[in-house]
Amino acid sequence: MENKDEEDLKTLQLRFVGKIIAGFTHEIKNYLAIIKESSGLIGDMIKMGKLSEKDIPEYLDIIQSIEDQIGKAIEHFTHLNRFSHRMDTQISSFNLNECMEELIALLNRFARQEKIVLETDFQQDLPPVKSNPSMLQLLVFSFLEKKIAGLEKNGRITVRTGTVDNAVAVKITPEGTFAEGDGDAGTTTGKIRENFIKQLGGNISQGAAKETVITLPVHGV
Amino acid sequence: MTEEIKADVLLVDDEEQFLKVLSQRMEGRGLKVDTSTSGEEALEKVKGKDFDAIVLDLAMPGMSGIETLKRIRSEHPDLQIIMLTGHGSVEKGVEAIKAGAVDFLEKPADMNKIMEKISEAKRKRVLLVEKKKEAQVKEILQSKGW
Repeated sequence: MENKDEEDLKTLQLRFVGKIIAGFTHEIKNYLAIIKESSGLIGDMIKMGKLSEKDIPEYLDIIQSIEDQIGKAIEHFTHLNRFSHRMDTQISSFNLNECMEELIALLNRFARQEKIVLETDFQQDLPPVKSNPSMLQLLVFSFLEKKIAGLEKNGRITVRTGTVDNAVAVKITPEGTFAEGDGDAGTTTGKIRENFIKQLGGNISQGAAKETVITLPVHGV
Repeated sequence: MTEEIKADVLLVDDEEQFLKVLSQRMEGRGLKVDTSTSGEEALEKVKGKDFDAIVLDLAMPGMSGIETLKRIRSEHPDLQIIMLTGHGSVEKGVEAIKAGAVDFLEKPADMNKIMEKISEAKRKRVLLVEKKKEAQVKEILQSKGW
């Protein structure tokens, strides 16, 4: 790739990691804020002398809420941890659904802020794929970012997985009105995508209504 | 526990569980708390009621905290708005102050600090209302030529 393309690739990579970390830290801060106020509420109730047996259900409710928030935070940490470790080796055998699930979980806040529903519909019996999962996540992100930015509020994007012959596929289907175009064929982002898909040995096709389908060979390049 | 403050507060955040626990804690400190889960809902609530302070989350889906702040301030310039932000940087706080917020706090915030800021906001609002009344009385006196 030429210098300008390499620069654009680095910008895309940084934007990707930046979005993931910003979304992650915001979610964690929200969970911590609820945990902090819930434990503070327990302290307040004790100071107010609410210590009789009839107060126990209220205490149990607050404790349950703290446990729920901790559970959500752990789930988020697990996604971020898996996401980070995908970069340990370039080529690995991985489960496409898990790879997409963690990406969507980490980008969900970003979509939610724009009032876009990001949902998944995964085929459950997919074979493991031998490929570069980090590159695939970056590729999918590059499409999701454009579609989220282009869709007007209250839109919806569904990320589906499935099989096509000896390949697995990720289908990104937006629903709603586009405020601005998301077609960027011929731009540098388009060139970066072409380069990625070439390295992954797959194919990108654009369907009707701005639907994008990425296919990957199951056994790698 | 901090000293009781008598004030009407509107708490705005898209996270319902956060609103629930924070309003319970505030009510335990003497505040009358109303809640909204969106900027749009908050705009409706301020039309029908006078609040001493509004605690507003910066990052909300749809109408953002900053947009909500600007719209409330344009229609109700006397309302005292304290921003709650999950952003670690000060830039967003500066942006909020420039847009008319009286203060900003980083999430998760300390309850004593929240109460302190609400108390300050109420004091400012009382002063503004008094000044407005004084100006109105002056205007009446001058117009009557007494």
